Amino acid sequence: MTQSLKHNVRTRVGFGLCVRSWFSTGIRRPIFIPLLLILIPTAGAHVGSPDVFFEGNAGPYHLYVTIRVPQVIPGVAQVEIRSQTNDIHEVRITPTNVTGPGSKFPPVPDRAQPSKEDPQYFTGSLWLMEFGPLQVRIHADGSRGTGELGVPVPAFARRTLPMQKPLGVLLVALMLFLAVGAVSIVAASVREGKLELGAAPAPSTLRRARTVTRFTSVLVLAVIYLGKMWWDSEAAAYNRRINLFKPQEAVATLAAGGRLVLRARAEDPEWSKWVKPEELIPDHNHLMHLFLIKLPDMDRMWHLHPQRTEGGAFVQQLPTVPAGHYQIFADIVDKYAFPWTLVGQLDLPEVLGKPLDGDDSEGSGPPISSGAKNPTVVELRDGVRMVWVRDAAPLRANVPMSFRFRVTDRDGKPVQDLEPYMGMPAHAAFVRSDLSVFAHVHPAGTVSMAALELAQASLPGSVAPEANMHAGMTMSSAPLPAEVSFPYGFPQPGLYRIFVQIKRAGRVGTGVFDAHVE
Amino acid sequence: MASNKAIPALTGSESSSSVVRPTLVESTRVPWHIWCSVVAVTSAMIGAHWDISWHMSIGRDTFWTPAHMAIYLCGVLAGISCGYLILSTTFGGRVDAQESGVRIWGFRGPLGAFMAAWGGIAMITSAPFDNWWHNAYGLDVKILSPPHVVLITGILAVKLGSLILILGAMNRAQGKLRDRLNALFLYIGGTVIIQAGILTAEHTWRGAMHSASFYRVVALAIPLPLVAVSKASGRRWASTVVTTVYTAFCLGMLWILPLFPAEPKLGPVYQRVTHFIPLPFPLLLIAPAIALDLLRPRIASWNPWRQAFVGGTVFLLALIAVQWPFADFLMSPLSRNRVFGTHYFGYNDVAGFFYDPNQFVALEKTRSQFWIGMAVAFLLAIITTRIGLAWGKWMEQIRR
Repeated sequence: MTQSLKHNVRTRVGFGLCVRSWFSTGIRRPIFIPLLLILIPTAGAHVGSPDVFFEGNAGPYHLYVTIRVPQVIPGVAQVEIRSQTNDIHEVRITPTNVTGPGSKFPPVPDRAQPSKEDPQYFTGSLWLMEFGPLQVRIHADGSRGTGELGVPVPAFARRTLPMQKPLGVLLVALMLFLAVGAVSIVAASVREGKLELGAAPAPSTLRRARTVTRFTSVLVLAVIYLGKMWWDSEAAAYNRRINLFKPQEAVATLAAGGRLVLRARAEDPEWSKWVKPEELIPDHNHLMHLFLIKLPDMDRMWHLHPQRTEGGAFVQQLPTVPAGHYQIFADIVDKYAFPWTLVGQLDLPEVLGKPLDGDDSEGSGPPISSGAKNPTVVELRDGVRMVWVRDAAPLRANVPMSFRFRVTDRDGKPVQDLEPYMGMPAHAAFVRSDLSVFAHVHPAGTVSMAALELAQASLPGSVAPEANMHAGMTMSSAPLPAEVSFPYGFPQPGLYRIFVQIKRAGRVGTGVFDAHVE
Repeated sequence: MASNKAIPALTGSESSSSVVRPTLVESTRVPWHIWCSVVAVTSAMIGAHWDISWHMSIGRDTFWTPAHMAIYLCGVLAGISCGYLILSTTFGGRVDAQESGVRIWGFRGPLGAFMAAWGGIAMITSAPFDNWWHNAYGLDVKILSPPHVVLITGILAVKLGSLILILGAMNRAQGKLRDRLNALFLYIGGTVIIQAGILTAEHTWRGAMHSASFYRVVALAIPLPLVAVSKASGRRWASTVVTTVYTAFCLGMLWILPLFPAEPKLGPVYQRVTHFIPLPFPLLLIAPAIALDLLRPRIASWNPWRQAFVGGTVFLLALIAVQWPFADFLMSPLSRNRVFGTHYFGYNDVAGFFYDPNQFVALEKTRSQFWIGMAVAFLLAIITTRIGLAWGKWMEQIRR
């Protein structure tokens, strides 16, 4: 979408500096002042969960990557990289586009700084200069050679910043000083500017100076007013960009025969120009991943894959669902590999639908808890259990973690028959109880698999995309390990429901867990 | 030729009274504070071009880049020299200095010093405003954003202050000193045109040179300072000198900057960059400037509005006559070399991907829009010429 927007809004292009687009801009000077922020819950890829958590291989090195996306774009992203091994000597990071122009010439990379206490931990910061699908390329150099990895980053701004009162007072004072000063200078120039040395202004000159003073005062006020209008206009344009990247609305209706019809309804008509249903690209086999969650208890969940129809709607033949109120989270990926989540709610009567087939699945659990102990073991079926492998330490917001789940048989032994589910060992959805956070996560992390493939394919000397894929994306038919993990970090405190899905014996099992996050 | 009027030197001598009287020494030396102003505006111009080139070539910067230092030097020099001038005039007891100054808020000093000091404060004001802006809306590389305009206004005020500072001395001077001050005045005038070129750069790229909007922007920005400085100078070829300064400076930057290596440190990178990318080839303002200089003696005695009508029209016609065909040349492969520099693109320029840099863009959708736009351009040229004449006349009379 980046390129498309650039192309369309480029009414006045020129030399590089004046590339004036929705997404392209640059840097003037560093940010000095950490300021009070107003957070606007928003997201492009997920809902309320903008940071990127990723696990994958840079050549021989297995890395856990966290990218803290800045609140404003252009802005500084914080990159944290942890290596599974301690044989990496140097890590370099650089941003590029995921694909197309802007992905071929990476800028001079920055060196991520190794931690003094932990040689496996590296941190760095990167400027994300454009809205849209970017990637952070990570180059690792160690005793086992070099390796490179591309981590997709959906870059979008989420907020504007109110001016702190002291700064506002200072700027208003300076503005008044400059305004009064300008008027005084003009008045003095009329009053005395033309006088010979030592001469005093004549009464007529003084009268003229007073008239000019009044006129200049009005002019200065007009300039200030026009400046304010310009400022408001710039702020409105920026807010429009923020709104453009907010989750758009999913409008769902139930048609005859238990067919659920979904359409995207964007607040800004510009969005529909860039994200066209006919141009979406599949993300792990499907154009849309629909999560239908029963409210208010979140005790039932369906993971469905509606089909695109002519006219841009998506249609899903519903399985049997009870009457009730439902939340919709629908993940799609546009043609530039930028992931979006459509959000909506609907009321359904009881639907007597068809049995689930294909990759469609469901899960159920108890109503979302409200202070009860977090369960760490849930029954799937046939005595098989899913165990959340975690210590007793409290869960904390904004801390990257590896969520590990082990599937055991009735004897407590790890199962040996896990199969890939849509090409991956497992899928997870993290949903905050107030629905302000939704993240569809895989063992590779929060990134879109479609974007990941394109990012890996854009690496210099890249081979077939699947050769570079994360270990979690498997095409093998061999049995998978009984333990799956998801890199993720809760974006804010609160109560979360986690749906974890695995597949064995041709059937999908869904473990439902709750997490209290401090 | 010896001057017949003493220039009050700023080297006073103590008299028996508490009042310091000037030593009436005929001097041909340009006062130090004027040299300070000249260095300040030169530094700002080099810094501005360098900074823009930096953002097109490297992208990432810090507070301490050399280009920023050059810009800050302008404010520092202007602040120190003008601050000293105002304070020494106000509290120094020098009658000659006080009598050649104006009074503002109880302070006395040269008018230009107050203007330059105002500019320095505006430049300082832009810093916290710009930082907040970047925090609130993200960093920007636009020339025209509200905080950047505050900064540019500050620099412009320093330049105007320098002009007035020189004028005050020049209009009181005779002979060699006057000639020297006049030359410096025209040089500063040239830097004002350079700044106008930077301000309008986003609208005067070569793809727009066959559009009316290009000529509207030039007509809005250039005749006013050009005519004003030329009139105040009184020199026969004043406009030509002013635009020669502009042209020479821009060509110098165009030819020198690419000699230095640079690599982008921000992404995405759309163009491979290995050296500093300069701003484009200067506009051919020298042609309308020559036309104005040739015209001026013939119309000097006319009614100002009539002068403005003819002057503005001739300015724009001369510009169109040379810039329009030159734009064709700039689009041709013959211009893609180090001399004309049309093959230079900033790292973040999507030229070649989403637009053809060697094709004109029709910014007016219809022929009638184009002709209406051109008519507006002529109207603007006449109005700005008229304002320039009035301002120039006022500057001719400046004594303080």
